[in-house]
Amino acid sequence: MSTLARNLRVVRRMTAADIAQQSVYRGAWIIFMLANITMPIISLLIWRTALASGAQLPVDERYITTYFVLLGFVTMATSSWMAGFLAQDIRLGKLSSWMVRPASLLTGFVANNLSEKFLKLFALVPMIGIVWWIFRDSMNIPAGPGRWALFAISLLLGAMLVFTIDILIASLAFWMDDVSALVQARVIVASVLSGAVVPLALMPSWSKGFVDHQPFRYTVSFPVEIVAGQLTGHELLVGLGIQLGYVVVFAAIARLVWSAGIRAYSAVGA
Amino acid sequence: MSTLDRTWWHKQWRHLRLWRRFFAQAVVRETHFRAHFLTTLLVGLVQLGLGIVPTLLLFGFTSEVHGWSRAEVIALVGVFQIVTGLLATFVAPNLNRMTTYLTEGELDGVLLRPVSSQFYLTLRWINVAELTNVASGIVVLVIGLVQADIAFGAGQVVQAVVLVTCGLVLLTAVWSAMSFLAFWLQSVNPIGFVFLNLMEAGRYPLVFFPAAVRTFLTFAFPVAFATTFPVRALAGDLGWEPVALGVALAIVAQGLVRLVWRRGLLTYSSASS
Repeated sequence: MSTLARNLRVVRRMTAADIAQQSVYRGAWIIFMLANITMPIISLLIWRTALASGAQLPVDERYITTYFVLLGFVTMATSSWMAGFLAQDIRLGKLSSWMVRPASLLTGFVANNLSEKFLKLFALVPMIGIVWWIFRDSMNIPAGPGRWALFAISLLLGAMLVFTIDILIASLAFWMDDVSALVQARVIVASVLSGAVVPLALMPSWSKGFVDHQPFRYTVSFPVEIVAGQLTGHELLVGLGIQLGYVVVFAAIARLVWSAGIRAYSAVGA
Repeated sequence: MSTLDRTWWHKQWRHLRLWRRFFAQAVVRETHFRAHFLTTLLVGLVQLGLGIVPTLLLFGFTSEVHGWSRAEVIALVGVFQIVTGLLATFVAPNLNRMTTYLTEGELDGVLLRPVSSQFYLTLRWINVAELTNVASGIVVLVIGLVQADIAFGAGQVVQAVVLVTCGLVLLTAVWSAMSFLAFWLQSVNPIGFVFLNLMEAGRYPLVFFPAAVRTFLTFAFPVAFATTFPVRALAGDLGWEPVALGVALAIVAQGLVRLVWRRGLLTYSSASS
């Protein structure tokens, strides 16, 4: 059997097992997702007030509303929380037992990522639905299924991008004692540059060239922009191309660093 | 009254002395972890800077929103930073442990001690390093007040301090009540996230929200008393009525939390014995 097919099968089995295990904490997922949509709703109300009181924004009310209603969903769907855990497994030697298994340690983290997101969906989608219904009069809803399909593709690419960035950061644990500061730095930098705090369309015009092309835009903001509007067909295609490019580049670097790390690994605790 | 204290006042005095010991111990402990102090300081400063980004961007598009200028909102962000810093110093280290207290049976050991168990669980641990955020909050507040050209008298300062204190008491009460749900739910670890995310509403003046949300942020999740009202008091456009309301609400909230705690204790069946 090819390596890819085997790994996929392992991921599928582990995801199913993880879902069964994690569904014990149903209540906790609901509370988590409640926290997840609080910030976007606060931002939504603030920016709508600013618009209503005459602020001259470069985007209209429909864009702002659609952006923040979808934001909670997209940040959840593209998130990754494994860097700290993976670094710990490397540092404390848990990686050793995986090196003699017929699958990578990373399959466990992929399964954990997929299973938790699957369960979070059940808690989050009804909440987003309610907020959507409240603001239904000022939502931008793309007509055809085309935009939604592109949204889904871009969401998947965004999730892969965040995941590979996390592998890259965690892999530094092969050489560094403590990567928690780096993990925290990634979270803080990403929260602003990904558009999770303020829509990138509202960033000052002098920063546009940088903001529009840096990788974090393609982890959250770009998928949301596909639905919220404004992107022309050309910009859309170019954006998807750049997103795919970032995924490939980061995956290549992560693979290089990971395999170099495996060679440098000296099995603590073995 | 227990035999330990002659009067109710003696009991309060004893708890105050105990808390002073907690604080002294926390300071000594902090000196052992100087790197922790430095990272807390740095992370706090970065978060303060990022937290102010939406406000700065917003006032790049307009000069005032519902009567609030940029400088006044910056002063408000300063008060927000002070309040969150105080909560992170004195309250968060305790309520974040609530699940452990109940599921690991650590509460058993607390119940045996000659101390109010609710007091002990809410205020035992202190994270001194977070006080740096209070300091940076004061700096931001002063910058905001100077820029806004706000002149205030002693009466207004008293109003603001009383309101911030009420806000702290109210928010602690809400967070405690949320955490005490652990008696019935077993695990409440994510509740801290919900609380901190709701707190973010305190970065903005109350009038920035729709009317229904304003009521929620005044009476149900009373962050308005901690940030908006104190700044309005300093600006001099707040009477004594909200101050009285704040004090009354704080007393009622304390009573309610006490009730939740008592009911919760009745359901506690110990995890270790």
